[in-house]
Amino acid sequence: MEAKTQPMAQPSGLSLKDILRAARLPIAIVVVLVLFGLVEPRVLSFGNFRNIALQASYLAIFAMAQTMVLLTRGFDLSLGYTVSLVSVAASMAMVAMGGGDFSILYGVGAAVLIAGAIGLANGLLIAGIGINPLVTTLGMANMVLALASTISGGFPVTGLPKSLTAEFAQGSLLAIPMPIWIAALVFGLLFLTLKATRFGRSLYIIGANPKAAVAAGIRTVPVLVLAYMLCALLAALGALLLTARTGSGEPNLGGNLTLEAIAAAVVGGVRLSGGEGGVGAAVLGALFVTVLSNGMNLVQIDGYLQQICLGVIIIVSLIVNRDEARR
Amino acid sequence: MSSETVSMTPTVANAPSHRASRLDRFLMQGGIVITFLIVAVVATTLIEPRFLNRLNLLNVMRNFALLLIPSLAQMLVMTAGGFDLSVGAVVAATSVVTAAVMLVGSGYFPGMELTVIFASLVIALGVGALVGLVNAGLVSTFSLSPFMVTLAMMSVLMGIALYFTQGIPIYGVTDSFIANVGRGQFLGLPIVLWAALGVLAACIFMQRFTALGRHIYAVGSDQRSARLSGVATGRTLIVAYMLAGLLAALTGFLMTSRLGSGQSTIGGTLALETIAAAVIGGVSLRGGVGRAELVALAALFLSVIANAMNLVQVDSKYQTLVLGAVLIVALAIERLLLRKRQA
Amino acid sequence: MLEVTGFTKRFRGIAALDNVDFSLNEGEVHALLGENGAGKSTLINLIAGTFPWAEGVYRINGRTITSLTPQVAQEIGIAAVFQEFSLVPDLTVVENIFLGREQSSGLFLKRKQMRQAAAELLDSLGFHLPLDEKVASLSRAQKQMVEIAKALRMRPKVLILDEPTASLTDGEAEKLFNAVALLKARGVGIIYVSHRMSEIRNLSDRVTVLRGGKKIGTVVTSEISDEGLIEMMVGRPVEQLFPKIEHKPGAVRLQVRDLTTEKHSVIGASFTARAGEVVGLAGLVGCGRSELCRAVFGLETIEAGAVMLGDKPVERPTPSSMLAANVCYFPADRGSEGLALARSARENATMSSLGLPELSAGPVLKFWRETETIRTPLGNLGLRPMAPERKASAFSGGNQQKLMLARGLMKPFDVYLFDEPTVGIDVGAKADVYNLIKSLVEAGASVVVSTSELPELINLASRVYVMHEGKIVAELAQHELSEAQVLSHYFGGRA
Repeated sequence: MEAKTQPMAQPSGLSLKDILRAARLPIAIVVVLVLFGLVEPRVLSFGNFRNIALQASYLAIFAMAQTMVLLTRGFDLSLGYTVSLVSVAASMAMVAMGGGDFSILYGVGAAVLIAGAIGLANGLLIAGIGINPLVTTLGMANMVLALASTISGGFPVTGLPKSLTAEFAQGSLLAIPMPIWIAALVFGLLFLTLKATRFGRSLYIIGANPKAAVAAGIRTVPVLVLAYMLCALLAALGALLLTARTGSGEPNLGGNLTLEAIAAAVVGGVRLSGGEGGVGAAVLGALFVTVLSNGMNLVQIDGYLQQICLGVIIIVSLIVNRDEARR
Repeated sequence: MSSETVSMTPTVANAPSHRASRLDRFLMQGGIVITFLIVAVVATTLIEPRFLNRLNLLNVMRNFALLLIPSLAQMLVMTAGGFDLSVGAVVAATSVVTAAVMLVGSGYFPGMELTVIFASLVIALGVGALVGLVNAGLVSTFSLSPFMVTLAMMSVLMGIALYFTQGIPIYGVTDSFIANVGRGQFLGLPIVLWAALGVLAACIFMQRFTALGRHIYAVGSDQRSARLSGVATGRTLIVAYMLAGLLAALTGFLMTSRLGSGQSTIGGTLALETIAAAVIGGVSLRGGVGRAELVALAALFLSVIANAMNLVQVDSKYQTLVLGAVLIVALAIERLLLRKRQA
Repeated sequence: MLEVTGFTKRFRGIAALDNVDFSLNEGEVHALLGENGAGKSTLINLIAGTFPWAEGVYRINGRTITSLTPQVAQEIGIAAVFQEFSLVPDLTVVENIFLGREQSSGLFLKRKQMRQAAAELLDSLGFHLPLDEKVASLSRAQKQMVEIAKALRMRPKVLILDEPTASLTDGEAEKLFNAVALLKARGVGIIYVSHRMSEIRNLSDRVTVLRGGKKIGTVVTSEISDEGLIEMMVGRPVEQLFPKIEHKPGAVRLQVRDLTTEKHSVIGASFTARAGEVVGLAGLVGCGRSELCRAVFGLETIEAGAVMLGDKPVERPTPSSMLAANVCYFPADRGSEGLALARSARENATMSSLGLPELSAGPVLKFWRETETIRTPLGNLGLRPMAPERKASAFSGGNQQKLMLARGLMKPFDVYLFDEPTVGIDVGAKADVYNLIKSLVEAGASVVVSTSELPELINLASRVYVMHEGKIVAELAQHELSEAQVLSHYFGGRA
């Protein structure tokens, strides 16, 4: 049989539908900003934009972390409390090592070890034994929370090196705050990982059809373990940045974070059914959620009402982004 | 021995052995929980004889009752194939509602205590049913993940409860309510326990003797097949979630009688606790499997363990840690047994 | 009694059924014959109300029906037993039979009555089943009996049977035929979908043949020969469908010795496959041939026995290690195990080849080279349309199969394991697949084909192993290959 060479169709370029779909969220962000700006002009100031970008950076990192796992049809409910534990443990390590600039390294080391262990445990339970990710990470979350409260005694850990806050929270490079740089760096690295590594590609395939991934020779267990570890390590990075901002190790740091990170990812369009979406979606989602909470703060809406809003936003996004393939 | 081999013509002669294996399976499932329970009770008694103290036992029974009711709620939703993370939030919200109604009611209608209590019950149950309806509606209409929907609902409910109370407990709960329901007894057993046993009986009845019970199993086991067979899947899901909401509301109502005030901060770990009780009680995460009796035994087991840890003065933070660990271990055992059975 | 005229149904613009007429009389067994993809399942689904028809008139007992749902269809007396059952795994046999139609007085379920009724129903059909057993633990044949009983509980006037004997043994099929005869005597009209000539000949009064969504003809069974039916079905003389393959058996590439899987789906199986030949694996559905291929590839756990590539034993096969050792397995169910339908065609074609030097350097994936790398393989397979960025789900069955087969062309493999390679694809795509096998074999690879299609075994293979209940019961050489010969071993080696 002769080789039938046919001209390949151009990569089915972006149809109008695709473009509209991708533009949905940026447009929504602009609309929300304008609406809030009408009520409270301060919303539309340059200073506020800078503020939003800064705020969003932290959430973006957590949203990207969660995305790594969502892509595989998994979930990490222990993300928020991992942040708490890392914050507390890293702070204690830094204080124990004298609280000087050099001790920051020990803090980072502690963070990596703890996050790595949590991610490894999650990954092994979920991929190795095959337990449902939702419930596994739920159980893990409570265990981690308990650890965080225990070792901190429930109180913030103070005595951290001043340079931590000065450099990593308040510092800036080329007039752009450090956290934004770091979030951008994380975005870039993850984007490359997803597009240009076998690991990244495997995440998508596993999420789209785990059985097909196995039959295609993809070694799912190492890939999944790595995904959960990556998620936890990114959470640790975020935890260190947040700790730098508050200047102390906080056992309550992670409180609402899990929900916010999931909300950001879901709002951004990362599919819960796995196999679709990317870090870009996570970042956009984080931006939208931040714009919303920033606006609500400036317009002075009660914090509890904001929580209600968050829940409603999640539901609306789920409906809007749901699997349109379902008939 | 695998039952998966292509079998030759099955004859009536095979039937008895199948019936025997059904008994085996029940014992195996229930057996594990019963064993856990017996071991827990014996171990606790040995380590801390105060366990058998009458006051302590009453305490255990009250805690058990207040864990059993929401666990049955969780079981209903899980056997229908879903999850209910909003259980704790409903408890908190209805606690607030109960107290608020009593406060307002006693103000406007002094002396009509029974009516006020009854009114608060009805309103609380209404709230629970409403939440269940919304949950089911979203899950069913838009084919959304029950996990995410109830997670979001949890956020919304907590926000509402916290907003109205600003985190401050609501006092003004009718005294007779606290005395008779919260601390009251009937035939030597706490009233809340009687309530819980009543709910348990109702659940067992529903699962075994009504078409609804079967339909819930069917929808949880294979929704597509159920629909093709003529089961009204949407309606069944709504009923399951609404019942769950009702039971959670009942829990909030009863808990208010124990606390003596309406608290919007309770129920935080209830989602985890009820899922743990359900899972240990043999409810499958995939739906279609779950019996109220076994969930009750599991809830009892967890209550005993919690009580034991209290007696030994283990910090409450550690208790959550133990709970998380127990849940993971129970799940791991289920998975490994499943794998072995497939061989 | 039942009459549909001008039935048309389109899926995504492609006509699955085009202006088809069909009629059914009381007490008649009317067979529906056609290749996979000819439109048989579309037609019966329309009749049963699973989805709406685009054009056409539907009349039953003189009444015209304008729209239908499965529930309404059941109420007017149409019942169907599809290949995919509507049984709930966690409920018992009795509970499943009455699912959706439970008998209760008030709130109470009439459990005793239902059990009694179920027992009577099963007895009248000659089925013996453990009533209180959960359906999940039944064999496929038993599940089918439950499904049939369930379909009959409403005393339908029309019964649709879709490939009912696909996984039944001789004895079980016999019971089914008796049940069919019983129902026929009661005046029930039966639509019997099958591609087994012997059944059609023995059971049916009339046959309607579909091809490519169109009705080719309706004939009285006794007035047409088997060859005539096949020609109507395939549209060309049988011989033209299959290419002529030159077998040149060379070195032994794959050797399996006394293999037993952990689930005992394969017991003590041994076979060899040489370079340059096609080895067929035959047997009923569930006989273990699929599990045998999967075990070799590492998708089933091996309890005992050895797998050898060339003369080197393989310790514990895993898909990734077998792929690296140049063994390629194509899963039987492309939807559930072969493809990631939500991803693009390109990603599907490369998913098993991410480690190839053309596509990777260490952990880095050379995504910019992917399109180029899949150009030739997809071209050779004849993917239509050649649009690698489209989602895999947007392609037709035959083209999806080609996406899955592309993995075998990404590098030269030594051994190819095909598992039901032509299920659910149209005739044109089938021919492409057979040509693929020909080119692989003639290039020197060793090809193993596990299939339920007898013509494939006879026309493609140079040797055939027949399996029954997990064991290999016969090995047939080329000159012994005939339908009758192969079939005779299906039920346990009775010659």
